[in-house]
Amino acid sequence: MSSVVATEAEVAELIVEALHLEVSPAEIDPEAPLFGEGLGLDSIDALEIALAVSKRYGFQLRSDDERNGQIFASLRNLSAHIDKNRVK
Amino acid sequence: MRDTAPLTDRARGEVMFRRGAEAITVGRFLADVAALAARLPEKPFALNLCADRYHALLGLAAALSRGHVMLLTADRSERRQREILAAYPDSYVLADAGEEPGWAAPPGALRVAAEGGGEDGPNPEIPLQQVAIIGFTSGSTGEPAAHPKPWGALVAATRAAAARFGLQGPAVTTLVATVPPQHMYGFETTMAMPLHAVTASHAGPHFYPVEVAEALHAAPAPRVLITTPLQMRALLGSGEPLPELAGVISATAPLATELAAACEVAWDTRVLEIYGATEIGSVASRRTRAGEIWSLYDGVELRREGESDTVWVEVPGMPAPVQLADAVEFQPERRFRLLGRRADMVKLGGKRASLASLNRLLMQVEGVEDGVFVAPDDLDSNPAARLMVYAVAPGRDPAAILAGLRERMEAVFLPRRVLLVPSLPRNAIGKLTRQALEDLRRQPVAGGG
Repeated sequence: MSSVVATEAEVAELIVEALHLEVSPAEIDPEAPLFGEGLGLDSIDALEIALAVSKRYGFQLRSDDERNGQIFASLRNLSAHIDKNRVK
Repeated sequence: MRDTAPLTDRARGEVMFRRGAEAITVGRFLADVAALAARLPEKPFALNLCADRYHALLGLAAALSRGHVMLLTADRSERRQREILAAYPDSYVLADAGEEPGWAAPPGALRVAAEGGGEDGPNPEIPLQQVAIIGFTSGSTGEPAAHPKPWGALVAATRAAAARFGLQGPAVTTLVATVPPQHMYGFETTMAMPLHAVTASHAGPHFYPVEVAEALHAAPAPRVLITTPLQMRALLGSGEPLPELAGVISATAPLATELAAACEVAWDTRVLEIYGATEIGSVASRRTRAGEIWSLYDGVELRREGESDTVWVEVPGMPAPVQLADAVEFQPERRFRLLGRRADMVKLGGKRASLASLNRLLMQVEGVEDGVFVAPDDLDSNPAARLMVYAVAPGRDPAAILAGLRERMEAVFLPRRVLLVPSLPRNAIGKLTRQALEDLRRQPVAGGG
């Protein structure tokens, strides 16, 4: 599905912008964890990402998604979740 | 004067907790406490790692009723567990029944569930002098420093806060909190409060804005939101409509006046801020929009030591005065103004650390010959601000240094950027002056983080 790859690039950019990361979007490994190891984000970042996602894609992230869908397990998971739930 | 206070002074039929649609009365709570207390081992310390707010409260109450001390930590990492259990080997561990993705309870942990099923139970009298909880801060060497709090201090603080925030009834105020139950602020407001103030805590978890909004809509009025500047900014930014709010209470980081004012307008409510610390609990409050002057809770006193900047706070029920981490200017009528944090202290995500202690941990990372943590200028006004690191580490890359730091400190203190430099601009006596760090920061740098 080509839209997932397109979303991945877009979401990588959104994360880098929202969190003022020093890496370039292309440097984010789509399969590496976003939290803890990997990109090393934490709960402060989760809120920032949630805010950016709600503004760009028009839906709200939830703890249940995090628990069940492991949305922060990787950029790929988060992008797939956004593709499934976006309303804009 | 009495030398005990009951576990709770609430009427048996009143609601004290809400878990989803379920309302838990004081009587039902006491039945659950008795059931758990009967299962606790004969050990003096309970490391309470329950994330479910109601389970955490059951753990506290059961431990209290058995005369055990609850060890309170919001950091549930394996590293912190190891540190605390090494310092308190005669402990048992409490954890939620049920699995939690991304976190494993230590083997042998006693699992807590709301299992009593009864409608009433004994309401034990607890000696005021008995240590109820021990909170922890990161000590100057990075090891946890312990801050015991007697039961009498906990009850006095709860009653003072209830008087300050109008939580003395008759209507039961529902408290919806975005802060974890085992951070001192979340503990005082959502675990201690329902025992001795006319409130009902919402079990949560509610972390994301939509969840906070839903919990508030589901809660009967009057309702109060217990939160942080970071969460307020996210909730306001989400545009989620909120029901009528009796108030919003913020703590853990300085709240910008603009944000407080914007929330008051958007939610048609009052935004109040609490001043406190793990060592002392909450001791003062203010309405952020009304000005920068804080009012001490009833019974709390500040004293300056001679002409020095050192200020001691006397908290009812605490055995000795405690030194304040901030510099303050005294005002008439038991009020004060904060002059800012002491230069070396930083606070992120509600956790406090000294830059010196972070630097010491940085120097332990393999290959780091010299290094320093630097706080951004907007640390006190931007809830999402992060630290950065300058390091001298030939042959190492920023990712390796970050990985080394991750093993040693809580995630909120991890630097957002690690910049490698050939040397740090130390002066003749080896000190890094503020000016030298400023100059370093302005230089164009190669190598990223």
